[in-house]
Amino acid sequence: MGSEQIPSTDRYGALRELLTGRPVSLYAASVLRIGYGFLYLGFLLREFPHRHEIWGPDSPWTPALARQLFAQTGWNSFLTLSDDRAWLELCYAAAVVTSTLFLLGWRTRITSVLFALVVTSFHARAIFMTDGGDNLILLMSLYLVLTACGRRWSLDARRVRVKTARADGAPQEPVKGSLVQGVRDARITLTTVVHNCGMFLIAAQVCFLYGSAGLYKVQGAMWGSGTALHYVLHLELFRPWPALSQFVDAHTTLIAVAGYMTVLLQVAFPFVLFGRLKYPVLVMLLGMHLGIAVLMGLPLFSGAMIIADAVFLPDRFYLFLPHLYRRLARRGRPTLQETAGAASVPAQAGPAPLCSSARPAEGENLAADPVGDRSAAR
Amino acid sequence: MPTRIESADAEAEAEAIQHSLSGPAAPKGPGGDPTPESRPTGVLVVRTGLWTTVILCVAATLVHVFLVFLHVAPANTVSKRFTPQINAWVFPFFEQNWRLFAPDPESVNRQILVRTAHTGPGGAIRVSGWSDLTAVDHAAVEHDPFPSHTAQNLLRRAWSSYVDSHGGDDKSRTERALMMQKYLANIAADRVAAHKGGSFDFVQLRVITRPIPASGSAGSPPKPAENRLLPWWKVSSHGK
Repeated sequence: MGSEQIPSTDRYGALRELLTGRPVSLYAASVLRIGYGFLYLGFLLREFPHRHEIWGPDSPWTPALARQLFAQTGWNSFLTLSDDRAWLELCYAAAVVTSTLFLLGWRTRITSVLFALVVTSFHARAIFMTDGGDNLILLMSLYLVLTACGRRWSLDARRVRVKTARADGAPQEPVKGSLVQGVRDARITLTTVVHNCGMFLIAAQVCFLYGSAGLYKVQGAMWGSGTALHYVLHLELFRPWPALSQFVDAHTTLIAVAGYMTVLLQVAFPFVLFGRLKYPVLVMLLGMHLGIAVLMGLPLFSGAMIIADAVFLPDRFYLFLPHLYRRLARRGRPTLQETAGAASVPAQAGPAPLCSSARPAEGENLAADPVGDRSAAR
Repeated sequence: MPTRIESADAEAEAEAIQHSLSGPAAPKGPGGDPTPESRPTGVLVVRTGLWTTVILCVAATLVHVFLVFLHVAPANTVSKRFTPQINAWVFPFFEQNWRLFAPDPESVNRQILVRTAHTGPGGAIRVSGWSDLTAVDHAAVEHDPFPSHTAQNLLRRAWSSYVDSHGGDDKSRTERALMMQKYLANIAADRVAAHKGGSFDFVQLRVITRPIPASGSAGSPPKPAENRLLPWWKVSSHGK
């Protein structure tokens, strides 16, 4: 271990710095906000022709049944407040607007709460029509309330930029009393802590998802014999392209290898997050989810999973994207400011991968942490 | 050895709390540290409140992760012991089940058919032919890159929830079982009304369970399909 080599005060200082120092992975949080906002908006629009059947007063899962179930389970939904069709139309419109604003990051603190309320209500009203994808979107919408998911790539960020640009050169605000300052600092620290806890919850949630999905599969004889995907490809409600499913199913070796890879990737997932190995694993999972989306006609489910995986990509990866885009856009033209992209974004103290948010839970292992790029936090 | 580390940890924790309460070692927020010499009670109260909240946040996070883990994991000695606490925390909003195609994927396809009956004015009962509800869902899913939940999940999950609450027979013994029966009857009635029309006041379901042939078993005879005929259910009169 060697934990004794580091003075314990330093270790706790580092831990506290990680928890309260700065909000981790702000880009990943924003990607989740945009992703789930977009996905839910897509879902709502997809079900527009079926909205009465799913959430309306004429649904086979009648408002009376829904209310009866709420009384048993503790769920609730604003959709059952009225049995008027107009109420559904109003709620549906509100849900579309909320998802759009959430995706754009407009007044995100409030919008994120409204988004969670919308997702919860629509989920609860049609709970017997949901699948794993809906479940994940619901969980993420709840966790995202805790995070500062509107700080990057959002209308909020744009407003802050405009404001600071305008304030530039203007006289500085007078120094306020120490109590006011103290309250303000406390608010900032608290926001940071809650955000970091939220990101940790999201990361842990995704690990539980893959871990349990993999470990339950290990117990199945079909996954062991490599034939599980053969059966999956024959589920009639999940083969939008029968010819394609048939074609894939004809390759028994491919089916067996893909089945084994699925189990291995899912089981391995929580363990590879702390090293470089996570990148190939995330790429393979992306391939798996794209396959599920097309072959099984589950784009919503796959989309929810892909976005969840994005939480493990570090800020430096997301910072690289606009940089890359600009470089590609500028190709052919004389390059004056090759590094302008990196300089124009707000400084991030030592962009560490999100997995660093897992550290509060494992303070004992700090010294033995396999990830090398933590020096900035210590 | 481990005991030494633990005691060191405890010491450090106490020290850390002391530090945070007294201030100087507090993290540098973007606003900067307040000057240490002037420290009125107000500031101290704010700091104490802040660090209490921080500790509560971290504690809640760890408790949440722990309880969700126990909820997701297979039933074990720990989760059995803490079942009431786990359920109180996790339900309803954090309920989850990630047994995706696990332990084994379904190896059957279900075909759900419905027929209706109408009592005529003279008391004569007219029974319709069977119509295939699942076929309608298939048709909706086929060649659609983004199938609707109404095609993929509605009938499928209604039936699996019905089976979960009823088991092998069709007597509704619990409140939930009655609810699921009503739900299934509503779905059947709505679908018939939408696709076929006609007047009816009873519906009956028939569920054919067809095993998916094993891989590369083209020659061997397929396993026999199972046929489950449900009782007639009264529904609100349609088509009148």
